Amino acid sequence: MNTLIAIAVLGVIVLLAEIFNLRKAIIPVTLAGLIATLGLTVTEFGVTESHYNNMIKVNNFTVAFSSLFIVLTIFLIALSADFYQERASKISDFVSIKLFLLAGSVSMVSFGNLAMFFLGIEVLSIALYILAGSDRLNVKSNEAGMKYFLMGSFASGIILFGIALVYGAVGSFDMDMIYEASNSATTVDWFYIGVSMITVGMLFKIATVPFHFWAPDVYEGAPTLTTATMSTLAKVTAMATFFKLNMAMNGNMKFEYELVIVIVSIASMTVGNIMALRQNNIKRMLAFSGISHAGFMVMALLNLQNATGSLFYYTAAYGLAGIAAFTVVIYVCKGKDNENIENFNGLGKRNPLMAGILTASLLSMAGIPIFSGFFAKFFLLNQVLNAGWLVLVIAGVINSMIAVYYYFKVVSAMYTKEATEEPAKVPFEFYIVAVLAIGLNIAIGLFPSALMDLF
Amino acid sequence: MGEIIFYALAAVTLGTALLTIFSRNPIHSALSLVVCFFSIAGHYLLLNAQFLAIVHIIVYSGAIMILMLFTIMLMNLNKDDESHKPIAAKIAATIAFCLVGLVLLAGLLRTKPVVESYYYSGEDFQSIKVLGKVLLNEYMVPFEFASVLLLVAMIGAVLISKKDKEKSLK
Repeated sequence: MNTLIAIAVLGVIVLLAEIFNLRKAIIPVTLAGLIATLGLTVTEFGVTESHYNNMIKVNNFTVAFSSLFIVLTIFLIALSADFYQERASKISDFVSIKLFLLAGSVSMVSFGNLAMFFLGIEVLSIALYILAGSDRLNVKSNEAGMKYFLMGSFASGIILFGIALVYGAVGSFDMDMIYEASNSATTVDWFYIGVSMITVGMLFKIATVPFHFWAPDVYEGAPTLTTATMSTLAKVTAMATFFKLNMAMNGNMKFEYELVIVIVSIASMTVGNIMALRQNNIKRMLAFSGISHAGFMVMALLNLQNATGSLFYYTAAYGLAGIAAFTVVIYVCKGKDNENIENFNGLGKRNPLMAGILTASLLSMAGIPIFSGFFAKFFLLNQVLNAGWLVLVIAGVINSMIAVYYYFKVVSAMYTKEATEEPAKVPFEFYIVAVLAIGLNIAIGLFPSALMDLF
Repeated sequence: MGEIIFYALAAVTLGTALLTIFSRNPIHSALSLVVCFFSIAGHYLLLNAQFLAIVHIIVYSGAIMILMLFTIMLMNLNKDDESHKPIAAKIAATIAFCLVGLVLLAGLLRTKPVVESYYYSGEDFQSIKVLGKVLLNEYMVPFEFASVLLLVAMIGAVLISKKDKEKSLK
């Protein structure tokens, strides 16, 4: 609860700073505030309580995921100063929207009532629609904003319909009541229709396969920093929320539901990886790679009781690698009108540190040891194996091997091709963000138990 | 008395809903939709859901319809040359929506059967007074959080419509 209030207040302070002409102070103040909020959140670890008629819950799950979201947002806001340099008059709007987006994602993991869940997902989505279309003189950005808005609001509508049906069956929005209803044998049929509709909406937000069509276009068209937000913060939030919803709504998961999850998972991994092989635009490639990662994360639903730690570890590894990769992408593609892989030619000679960071983060996403991506996949597949889905494990391993190919396409462009232009100067904060993100990624790879044992 | 009003309202609702779909002119469609929304608000009033009825009129008949009419006028859709969709798409859409309808009907038919006689308990469940109390006591946090949602939408509108000062100077 304190986290949510602190973030919302910080957002308002940023808006006020613009009025008092303190534009230069916005980003430092926001970063300091977010670090303080992170500290505030972490102190609540180990506490289990609920606030305001069970609207907001605090437990280890919410504290861990909220902290992860705050860390990701700190990185994203640190990158904003340089990214929005040309549009400094709007910086307070951009930063405050990002802070409210964070407030939305925090309420999405700490809700105790479906009303808070829906408001959270709407705050998150509306902030993202705006950010996706924020480069309004660019046709691609307009297309991205429009596409994301139309499809996203449709998905929100389906979620809302599902919530209405669940309410009709249970008579309450409260998660505890819904948990009891999902375990009882007398629950009426349309409860499950509601659960299915919420599942459809959430699968859309995570971008898994039958609902993934928006992702590549939106990721490509949106400003790169927004793409970074979508593929790290938004995806991780939606996944954590989906997991939490399932813990309450699928008390005794039916075999048919498990089967659907398995099929969605295999299809996401396969389609995402195979489509990524053909992409020449790195943002599109990372979009498809994100779809395949969504396929991996969905696996956690098959072992609801034990997979919380593995899911948290996976989301942390994926989020940090994504931040590091996008930092380099933003640096390389700055001032260019496309994000083709040719832009990365010769980066290994031009700027060895940045090239090394991009290589490391792509290797982490591909699942090469030392980097935490490998351990994340390993733990998750282990959970799936315990749940008895050998087919899914085999599909996951095959897909990890396919993924290595397209990640290495970028790596080989950086090290084997000749540079075509002079290196641009790297802003100081880009180094800090990239090094910190990849450093944290390697650190949790070396000490996985630090995150795994939180639950 | 209640029954007569119900049947009259139901006839208006269904008739205008059909007009919305079948009329060729988008403006006529939009106008019959307004009437349809008003008659649905009437249904809510029949069920003594005052708040829902008022909100329905304000939001749907007011805001959303104005938005739709403006869109039609600004985008100049006021012509009869609507493009013909492929027949396969029409069939697919029909089948998909029939299936959704079937599932929902099948689920909802198994709820409580039709209410045959009204029973008045005297207790007030859904007047605006009760709703306000629930909203500001039990649902205080969501109520406040909705303002964050509106704030985000407002900042977004400003952000997208604000001029890029730096860019225009170049």
